[in-house]
Amino acid sequence: MRLLAAIFDSLGKSVLHAVEEMGRIILLFLSVLSWMVRPPWRLRNIFKQMEFVGVRSIFVVVLTGMFTGMVMALQGYHGFRMFSAESMVGSAVALGMTRELGPVLTSLMVTARAGSAMAAELGTMKVTEQIDALYVMAANPVQYLIVPRVIAGVIMVPFLTVISDFVGILGGYFVGVQILNINSGIFIKNITKMVELNDIYNGLIKAACFGLILSLVGCYKGFNTSGGAEGVGRATTEAVVLASITILISDYFLTALMF
Amino acid sequence: MFSISSEAKVGLFVLVGLIVLGYMSFQVGQRGFTFKRGYMVEVEFDNAAGLSHDAAVQIAGVEVGRVEKIRLKNGKALVTLRLPAEVKLEKDVTAAIKTHGILGDKYIEILPGTQGGAYLQAGESISRVERQADVDRLLNQLASIADDVKMVSSSLSKVMGGKTGEDSIGAILENTRLLTKNLNAVVVNNEATLRAMLENTKQLTGNLNRVVVQNDDKINQVIESLRGASSQMEKTFTSLNDITDGIRRGEGTVGQLVKDKGMADRLNKTMASLQEVSDKINKGQGTLGKLVNDDETVNNLNQTLGGINKFVNKSDQFRTFISYRGEYLTEKSDAKSYLDLRIQPRQDYFYLLGLVTDPRGRRTVKDITPEGGTTTQITEWDKSGLLFNAQIGKRYQDFVIRGGVFESTGGAGLDFMSFKDRLKLTFEAFDFAADRNAHLKAGGELRLLKNIYLNAGWDDFINKSNQSPYVGVSLRFEDDDLKYLLTSVPIPTK
Repeated sequence: MRLLAAIFDSLGKSVLHAVEEMGRIILLFLSVLSWMVRPPWRLRNIFKQMEFVGVRSIFVVVLTGMFTGMVMALQGYHGFRMFSAESMVGSAVALGMTRELGPVLTSLMVTARAGSAMAAELGTMKVTEQIDALYVMAANPVQYLIVPRVIAGVIMVPFLTVISDFVGILGGYFVGVQILNINSGIFIKNITKMVELNDIYNGLIKAACFGLILSLVGCYKGFNTSGGAEGVGRATTEAVVLASITILISDYFLTALMF
Repeated sequence: MFSISSEAKVGLFVLVGLIVLGYMSFQVGQRGFTFKRGYMVEVEFDNAAGLSHDAAVQIAGVEVGRVEKIRLKNGKALVTLRLPAEVKLEKDVTAAIKTHGILGDKYIEILPGTQGGAYLQAGESISRVERQADVDRLLNQLASIADDVKMVSSSLSKVMGGKTGEDSIGAILENTRLLTKNLNAVVVNNEATLRAMLENTKQLTGNLNRVVVQNDDKINQVIESLRGASSQMEKTFTSLNDITDGIRRGEGTVGQLVKDKGMADRLNKTMASLQEVSDKINKGQGTLGKLVNDDETVNNLNQTLGGINKFVNKSDQFRTFISYRGEYLTEKSDAKSYLDLRIQPRQDYFYLLGLVTDPRGRRTVKDITPEGGTTTQITEWDKSGLLFNAQIGKRYQDFVIRGGVFESTGGAGLDFMSFKDRLKLTFEAFDFAADRNAHLKAGGELRLLKNIYLNAGWDDFINKSNQSPYVGVSLRFEDDDLKYLLTSVPIPTK
């Protein structure tokens, strides 16, 4: 009986914890929104974060995007060859990249690179009581630390996605035309024929959402770190895992909503 | 090292991202915000199944527009097409929904209308629609066919099925069954009779056999008597032989007729006299004999025939031409006339006889010997004097050599014929004398029409006092009457 109670207890606690965490994140998001519109706007901070999130992730994102496009072309080729539609490889790669893989893989890479860094940075500041110091200095830590990061995430991830889409299609073109000998004209014609502008823009909206999620989760986890260096490590891990899972789950709902 | 600020890096990155995004948008977005231009036309289809928003609109396989929207109107699909302004559709174009690609994408094909007709304006409708080969419709028709078949089978089943049908079919089957049963019964009941019939037949053949065996001897006797009859016939033939022998020996009337000596003699005599007649004829005795046997007659006949033959041939070959030629001598402002008769017994051989009037006149040389004095020659020109031509000519291929009297003096000439004898180049040399130059004449003659010729040349061109270029016309025609006149006069032929 006690065991049963213990099971329900822990189950209830974890559910409660999850719901509580979600609520906190949403509250944090609301406070970010409210602080965003209030001066002073620290543009330097924002640009610094944008550089960190966006510019420094280019290499990773390009690499990921290119190989994703290439492998899609390779896989798609074998599938389409079964009914002699090799020329459709191009549109398959382009549609896949713009709609799904570009935004998702980019934001996952950014999560791993920048989201984790945010959690670690803020976590360290938390455990070293730098955040408390900010309160003392009458500077709101949300406005000073989190708003620039969230803005950077929301703006930069879509741009990285654009780069990823383009590079992925280039990779697919390289594999399809150069290696698999698909007619280049038909390859490109099928891309422009099948892909619509909405595919690209919806992908970018997704990317912006993912950018929001990863930066918000990273900041939240860092902001709520406790327990010294170990806690910082745990917060980082939790941030990456939670952000990734949230991205993938929300991807489904966003897709269902948009397409 | 100069470090780039964060702002610059971010700005650069955003710029690059925007450029890439813009590029992709323009590549992809042939509709969307960039291509919401052109005009719209509407078309009604009975069925727009498979056609989707943004499906292609093609003319002759070239994509010209897109399907803007599809909606329902009075139970039909009203499809709105967006076409660029530069694509103009005639009022009588035909629209059709077609399928292409392995995935069966539907698109709208527009078949052009009459050139030069009025064009569709924005918002107007394409009135002519080609009905597509609709699989669903086909299936519907098949279904109705199946209904028909079903009706047939159901009426059949009404006849056959049901209580009455079943009963009647049952009755038929029952009757058939009874029939076969009866047949069987007949066979079974009459088995003994049938067997007896067979037995009787067997006995009959047995009896027949026995009859033949028992009468063997009698048959032999019949054959024997037949042999006797044949020997009798042999004797009859022998006596017939005797009768013919009698006839041969002159016995009896027929024998006498055959064997009468006098009759044979008379026949022989007739034969002999016939022989005599033919002999006589053969030997040339008597009129007929002479006629037949005289070699002279045959020769005469041969000659006559040959003569006729030759005459015919000759008159075939024989041609005579009469020609008049006037030559205007430009230096002397006077004319020289020729009247020629050309007699051509054979193709390559001719005589030429002619009269010539020369403005210089006819030269006469007189020896005047005064008494006791030396003889002096006086040359006189008689302007009214006629000159004569009398030449013979022979043709070798394209060359004709002429010789004889030229303008009353001795001379020779050479003609060259070309262009199937249309053009004749001629050179003549005559009037040879020790004390002056010979008279040379060169010229050409071109056949203009059948009987008219143009002449031009240079007469006497090495004598300064008498030389003159000339142009002239000649008329020449063949004279058949003269020809027959001449051929009947004996002419020595080669």
